[in-house]
Amino acid sequence: MSPNSTSATEDLADVERVLAGDAAAFAGIVRRWQSPLINMAWRYCRDRGRAEELAQEALLRAWRGLAQWRRESSFSTWLFALAANVFRSELKRFPTVNLPLEAAPEPSGPASQHHALAEKSSQDVVRRAVLALPLRYREPVILFYFHEMDLAAAARTMRLPEGTLKARLSRARALLRRRFPHLEDEQEALGFSIATPERRPNIEAHRN
Amino acid sequence: MKPTATKTAEANPAALDRILTAEEELLPSSGFLASVMERVQEEAAAPPPIPFPWKRAIPGILVAAAVLGGGAVELIRHVLSGASEISLAPPQLPAVVARPLPSVGWVALALGASLLSWMLSHRLAGRSGLL
Repeated sequence: MSPNSTSATEDLADVERVLAGDAAAFAGIVRRWQSPLINMAWRYCRDRGRAEELAQEALLRAWRGLAQWRRESSFSTWLFALAANVFRSELKRFPTVNLPLEAAPEPSGPASQHHALAEKSSQDVVRRAVLALPLRYREPVILFYFHEMDLAAAARTMRLPEGTLKARLSRARALLRRRFPHLEDEQEALGFSIATPERRPNIEAHRN
Repeated sequence: MKPTATKTAEANPAALDRILTAEEELLPSSGFLASVMERVQEEAAAPPPIPFPWKRAIPGILVAAAVLGGGAVELIRHVLSGASEISLAPPQLPAVVARPLPSVGWVALALGASLLSWMLSHRLAGRSGLL
């Protein structure tokens, strides 16, 4: 049995136990999904403490709404979609402070990037610039890269058609490249390199 | 989500993809699982929410609906009878009195909007488990 199917079986068994009244069985679900959810939340807010709060809220909503999982989609699809909703609404209520896209500083030039720290810093600037995108474009970028460039998985999480997501992603990438023109020459002309299974590390492999 | 070897954006193709894919993985803090389970156990131990007392509320709702309905009918009647009188009235009367039918429209619109907002808030409250 593959790790994915093992996990799916474990998720299903834990859900059944929780629905039968065994609240402690939810610990298995938390153990398997805490890390992906925290990392997903981190991409939404880039604040470690806030990411844990958001992940905790998503898990609690999952706990309350377990009976609403219809088994038509996998548990992970349902959980990520629920979490995305929670993160979106919580961050609307209490937004993180982000610079506007124009205010994000241009990463320093290659000459100063010999140092690993400078390079990491310039990459962080690009990552943080994602949070300055309009929400409509921000979330597709966050989820596309969270799902390691799996367009279909990101579309399922956002509950959007793949075409719509692809269009928004294209616009978001254009905005980012306009802000960081040094990236422009290096992009494959707006082609999305959709990850193949062997290229895409599985999220579930990163669970605790 | 794996930490990857950082390479400069300038030196490689698809830099944006690489930068945004290669994020260091955060590990949950040591108390995270316990904290979530504590809240889960609290919620599991809490008594179930009190359901809305529909049986008791229905008579009141019916009476209120009857009063509102009666009021609306009376209002329309009043406006319509006023309209027939106004047709003979001098033209310098205020526009609201001289043209009652648009006012009825506004009243109906306001009632409709109230009903819609009630239905929406009820639905939202239901979804969030408040009802």
